[in-house]
Amino acid sequence: MTAVDPQRRPGPPGLPGPDGPDAPRRRRLARPPRLARLPRLRRRGVEARPRFAFVVTVLFFVLLYLPIGMVVLFSFNSQKSLTVFKHFSTRWYSAFFHDHVLLSSLGMSLKISLVAMIGSVVLGVALALGLVRARGRLGSYSGLIMLVPLITPEIVTGVASLMLYKGLDTTLSTGTVMISEITFSISYVTVILRSRVAALNPEVEEAAMDLGATRWQAVRLVTLPALLPAILASAVLIFALVFDDFVLAYFTTGVDPQPLAVRIYSAIRFGVEPTINAVGTLMLAGSITLIAAALSIPRLFGRSGGLDLLSGD
Amino acid sequence: MPRTASEPTAGGPSPTGPTSPTSPTSPPSPPSPAGPPAPKGSPGPIRFRRPRRRTSRRPASADTRVWNRLALPGTLWMSVFFISSLLLVAALSFGTTDDLGNPRFGTTLDNIRRLAAPAYRTVMFRSLEYAALTSVLCLLIAYPVAYAIALHAGRLKNALIAAIVVPFFANYLVRMYGWSVVLSDDGPVLRFLRAIGLADSHTKILNTGPGVIAGLVYGFVVFMIIPLYAALERLDTALIEAGRDLYGGPLRTFLFVTVPATRQGAVAGMVLVFLPAMGDFVSAQFLGGPNQLMIGNLIQDKFFEGQDWPLGSALTMLLMAVLLVGMFGYLRRARKDEAEATR
Repeated sequence: MTAVDPQRRPGPPGLPGPDGPDAPRRRRLARPPRLARLPRLRRRGVEARPRFAFVVTVLFFVLLYLPIGMVVLFSFNSQKSLTVFKHFSTRWYSAFFHDHVLLSSLGMSLKISLVAMIGSVVLGVALALGLVRARGRLGSYSGLIMLVPLITPEIVTGVASLMLYKGLDTTLSTGTVMISEITFSISYVTVILRSRVAALNPEVEEAAMDLGATRWQAVRLVTLPALLPAILASAVLIFALVFDDFVLAYFTTGVDPQPLAVRIYSAIRFGVEPTINAVGTLMLAGSITLIAAALSIPRLFGRSGGLDLLSGD
Repeated sequence: MPRTASEPTAGGPSPTGPTSPTSPTSPPSPPSPAGPPAPKGSPGPIRFRRPRRRTSRRPASADTRVWNRLALPGTLWMSVFFISSLLLVAALSFGTTDDLGNPRFGTTLDNIRRLAAPAYRTVMFRSLEYAALTSVLCLLIAYPVAYAIALHAGRLKNALIAAIVVPFFANYLVRMYGWSVVLSDDGPVLRFLRAIGLADSHTKILNTGPGVIAGLVYGFVVFMIIPLYAALERLDTALIEAGRDLYGGPLRTFLFVTVPATRQGAVAGMVLVFLPAMGDFVSAQFLGGPNQLMIGNLIQDKFFEGQDWPLGSALTMLLMAVLLVGMFGYLRRARKDEAEATR
């Protein structure tokens, strides 16, 4: 369309060209077409780099890491101050490792996370398998109630759990925290695994059964191994989430000992305690290690892993 | 399984049709797992693929029972420990407290009436306002960030998204605590603002409304970035090209092409931010001081300090009601979007 027939181009002015009296009209036709004035597009079809978005992004990253950086930095401060960094020191770390209350809280949090991880993975994997494969009324009911915790604010879940234990006349303890954390985590496991189960080819199981396996053997020997990467990844994720969880633990814990997050909460609430910086730094390091492990698991097993784990599909 | 039986026939003798020797013995409606391959009147060659729906038609085959049995423990657990406890909260919002302060179930509407008191109304509207502002601010911050990363970060894409998600896994309390240090009167943010002349020595962020909103934004902006990033990542850049072909400037193309195409991610992000922001009580506590209470602080107070569980339950139900209305609106909107997309 941009090409102009050269033969139609009028000759140089003054010369008697082949066009004769038609020349002026032809000249108008031969004007370069407008398309030629389009801006040159980038190869990938996206407009020039948006400077505004870049500025916001840089600012965003600065503000995102500033608080965490402060916590990590001042965990190594020799002074109690949170504004002036004096010398490098590991004083607050040794304070933490000599604080028996905090250490017992740490132990309790680890225990709770472990139990919640195992419990919610067992129940959640079974639920995901059942939800995808089973049809009928039970399936739609289960599908609905496992979604409810995801849209319920944590404080409501906490209040509800507290109420239930009060109604059952149970004393709040490590056990009640564990039960609530399992309840809260099942939904996550199920959501993560449901899409993976749906992606499985049921004919592989059928093949196993054609070869003489029972239904349970097919699930145990074929389905579960195929789901193993997703199961491990969700397990690690649940461990990290439960370990860091504060709201639910706050509502369901007894008096003594309390989970680490609850201890941190009261420490922050009742004054500045630099030990918290050290604890926070250690927890951050632990979480990052766990998440890195969770994200690398699917890759270990030769699947494209990574961020789809976090978005749940 | 039907396949087991059908496969030999597939390669075997030609289909026998209605006069198949096996068909007279076959039950007419539900093909049993070990049953004959072709139903009566089945023409031509045997199907290799089982129709998807068949499972649901079989009333109680061994298969369905296995799957139901697998779903049962989780379902029971959630019913007992989650649904029933929510129902208890709902029931207690109609209850009273006895002389000792113990909650009692009842049928009074007192608690709901008490919610209308001006003090509670103020807190409720403040919570709505803060959560809504938080959603909008998150959107305004997250859009450029997600846009820059999804469309212009090239190979750094995954690394940058990971860098956004990592702080999210730092303990929420510790993050809020760090944020309160950053926003404190001699923290870096105010020092910077003073240095460039945007604040004087009296300016405060801590213990103000903007302080709480800043905390909420910091806490939940990740929930906005992830869906927006997913939507922008999926965006067909040919659309942007088309916008440019039609003489749209960068801004017009963005507003009339990019934004509509990623609307669903934005709406999902707004919901994901609004829900937890509405229920949060840590931000208001650490960054807001006594005059910036949100509904979460009231609930916490009624259950721990005030010991007025029925009123706390009523507040909880109010919070749930507000959020459910929002969710319902969102789901209807999403369904409409979906219907439009498939039309």
